Amino acid sequence: MPSDAVQTRTAPGTPDTLPFWGRMTRWSPYRAVVNVIYGSPRRQFLILAIFPVLWVLTQHLGPMVQMLRVSLTSAYPVAPDTETYLTLEHYIKFFGDSIFWQPFFRTLAFAFVFTFCTLVLTYPVAYFLARHVSRKNQMLMLLLLLIPFWVGEIVRTYAIMILLGNTGALNLVLKTLGLIDRPIPFMYTSFSMGVGIVYLTALYMLLPLYSALEKLPTSYNEAAADLGAGPWTRFRRITLPLTLEGIGSGCTLVFLISTGFYATPILLGGPSTTVFAQTIAGFFHTAGDQWPTGAAFASIMFAAALLLTVLFQRIIKAMRKGDTK
Amino acid sequence: MTDTSPLVRIDGITKSFGSTVALHDLDLDIAQGEFVTFLGPSGCGKSTTLRILGGFETPDKGRVILDGQDVTRLPPDRRNVNMVFQDYALFPHMTVAQNIAFGLELKGLGKAAIKARLDEIMTFLELDGYGDRYPGQLSGGQRQRVALARALAPDPALLLLDEPLGALDAKLRGQVQKELKSIQRRTHKTFFFVTHDQEEALTMSDRIVVMNKGRVEQDGTPEELYFHPASRFVAEFIGETNLLNATVRGMEGNDVIMDWHGQTLRGHVAPGRKLPQGPATASIRLERLGFGKVRPETENAVQGRVIGSTFLGSRMALDVRVENAGDAILKAYVDTATGSTLGDGPVWIGWDADSMAVLND
Amino acid sequence: MTRGSRIFMSCIYWAFVLYVFVPLALMILMGFKDSKFIGFPIRSWTLDWYTGVFDDGAVVSAFGYSIAIAVLSTLVSILVGTWIAVLLEGRKFVGRPVVFGLAVMPALVPGIISAIAFRIYARGLGIEPGMGAIVWAHAVHNVPFVVLVVMARLSTLPKSQLEAARDLGADPMVVFLRITLPYLVPAILGASIFCLLLSFDDFVRSFFLGGYEPTLPVLIFAKLRSGMSPEINAIATVALIVTAAIGIWAERFTRRMNKDSKP
Repeated sequence: MPSDAVQTRTAPGTPDTLPFWGRMTRWSPYRAVVNVIYGSPRRQFLILAIFPVLWVLTQHLGPMVQMLRVSLTSAYPVAPDTETYLTLEHYIKFFGDSIFWQPFFRTLAFAFVFTFCTLVLTYPVAYFLARHVSRKNQMLMLLLLLIPFWVGEIVRTYAIMILLGNTGALNLVLKTLGLIDRPIPFMYTSFSMGVGIVYLTALYMLLPLYSALEKLPTSYNEAAADLGAGPWTRFRRITLPLTLEGIGSGCTLVFLISTGFYATPILLGGPSTTVFAQTIAGFFHTAGDQWPTGAAFASIMFAAALLLTVLFQRIIKAMRKGDTK
Repeated sequence: MTDTSPLVRIDGITKSFGSTVALHDLDLDIAQGEFVTFLGPSGCGKSTTLRILGGFETPDKGRVILDGQDVTRLPPDRRNVNMVFQDYALFPHMTVAQNIAFGLELKGLGKAAIKARLDEIMTFLELDGYGDRYPGQLSGGQRQRVALARALAPDPALLLLDEPLGALDAKLRGQVQKELKSIQRRTHKTFFFVTHDQEEALTMSDRIVVMNKGRVEQDGTPEELYFHPASRFVAEFIGETNLLNATVRGMEGNDVIMDWHGQTLRGHVAPGRKLPQGPATASIRLERLGFGKVRPETENAVQGRVIGSTFLGSRMALDVRVENAGDAILKAYVDTATGSTLGDGPVWIGWDADSMAVLND
Repeated sequence: MTRGSRIFMSCIYWAFVLYVFVPLALMILMGFKDSKFIGFPIRSWTLDWYTGVFDDGAVVSAFGYSIAIAVLSTLVSILVGTWIAVLLEGRKFVGRPVVFGLAVMPALVPGIISAIAFRIYARGLGIEPGMGAIVWAHAVHNVPFVVLVVMARLSTLPKSQLEAARDLGADPMVVFLRITLPYLVPAILGASIFCLLLSFDDFVRSFFLGGYEPTLPVLIFAKLRSGMSPEINAIATVALIVTAAIGIWAERFTRRMNKDSKP
């Protein structure tokens, strides 16, 4: 192989078309563009960064900032010939009437309880999948659980309505078994709402738990067993502390999602289970300048949800630190 | 290259990463057609040198001259240098042929020229028939050859090889070493090879540069490095050796006279090299020691006793305690036939002055 | 682990599978009931509700509307999300944690709050409720998923691949187009399917940003508020089949692509 083979093969005069990439990289407009973009590392970074940074500022942060601004404005949308001023009155309104703060605390309490229920329900499932199923079947069995979660919120809420209705499947089963004479009114209670919300959020708990458990080497448990730890001790001292991170992210996710449901409480809940989402939405459905109040209430809820999430993360972190020492 | 100027000139290169100095004022010339190996432990600066030659790092100080042109600040895509990566870095979504053609397309070759060059290089590296395979469908040795073909195809002035044999199993490695050397001979290409494996370096290189802590420890042919290590580091890094803590008594021409636990030893040094009186370290390779029941006809001879032996097949490894030398232990390799006759009694150990290197540290 | 607890655990798993599937199965079943009233027992059966779905102009157009919104919003999310991921992955710069935090934020804002915030913002920008507003809200809401999926994939791309391409004469643009982008294809496809499903299924944003034309979930919601009927079951079932089929296909597809393109 002569070292100058490349040159000798391209005999002058014989037309030999360039391949696509060879042609493109020799095309002068392309060269100009490349030179502009990659002229210097600094310029390259600026061109790469400017759009994403502008996007997250205007599209991700913007709506939240605008919501906050509107919540501090006396009236919005602004009617002609009126002046607006900065005010906290919409926030003060919240504390003035139990019709406002009751749903608020109810929402948070519900979210807590439902998150806990989801955790208790999905932990054994995740544990079983990660620990007792062969690698090949794990994916299939996980996939089996994923399928229903591709189905939308409304359709799945409706499915729960059919399950729990007075003439629903559950009452039919109970009646057939002779356990009840009259149907139990499951629907339009906090129970039906809970079943629905857990049904909708289970996946968001299951996946973090599963990935945490799956990462945990079985040798830890074996070592603990070897040292004489029983199943309960092994779970409490080994598995649980080492999956705290998964529990933390699963609970955070489910909590945040649970506080934000709007359609599900309407369809599955009753008058005694009104959640804050319904209160907030009310200000946007009625005519008039109720938007600032709605924005203020949404801001309160967002702040509360964030605060609780951060608090929760702190607790998990402290617990993990205590255990890794 | 018709003139005598080197293909590559590395001129006073210094490179730091944060507070660690990876390369300290490195000077080096590489001639056209040389197989140069940079050898050293991890963190010695060999990979940094390679990456500077490839254009992936820019030195803090100094220049790189390639073919008479200053390429210090030229990006990798604009220098006539190609590299075989440690993990081969074959593009998984392209076939073998597409991988090899990648550099040719960007070099501005026409379709027919690419086809011709592809056929040529694939035949040369015995890859015929593999053109439509994907890298994932190849064995380790085949991948290595594809990586080599891809780097050689655009006809680079300098080929960089970053520990390309590390991923191969031990059996294949020996075979690939021979292949690589033969490819280098047949293509007359300049190979810049980086490794931490001394055996690889000794087998293939025309010239080895031993690096340590960002500096050149020694630069020479494999034989020079093996038999005449210049420093303790080189002696210990390449092969196995006995290090003797001796005291220099004086010089006799090119011979140095040393005292070692009361025994007088004679060693050779390079012409013109003068050693001051005082402590020095002498190095003798394990296989350079001879054994016998009577005093051998060598310049140096001591008496000792075999205190341990390990059977290694065709040869044996011995531990010998030298008498009257502060219970010093010498290690040695002897062929099994000789080794088994030695027994427990006193034996003579002898070696030539030429086999003993005196280290300067 | 003892045999007993193993069996117990597997019972829990299958009970969970039942919990997840039974409500949907019942819903599908109810669509075959030959009566206007939802509820068990089902005494006579009919296919009328299902055939009716395709005759109902409002349902068919809601389907089309939802799909159009899903496709458009996914295109935007993919473009923006991939761009953000390429900026964030493997690059250190001042403010990177802030940009990352903001990039994933929309996924963490509770549904109702995000819908309200988008509603207010859209008004501020002068975007009327309707298709444009929904597409925009869905696109912003789905960007975080694209960012996370693409970043995860990008982090597994060996740096030597990029260096090898540069070494062989490719400028940074060619490296991106011929090495990085093909490597990201499985992640981008996976994220696209996920975005399509999220958008197609979304209710709360579509509800608050929609005009007079309803998306499919909004239509089902509206029908539900005026009373349950097997007609809704049939519509929901068709929606369910579409989403589940896309989901299963995508899952298999991305898995295979990931396997093939391992370096």
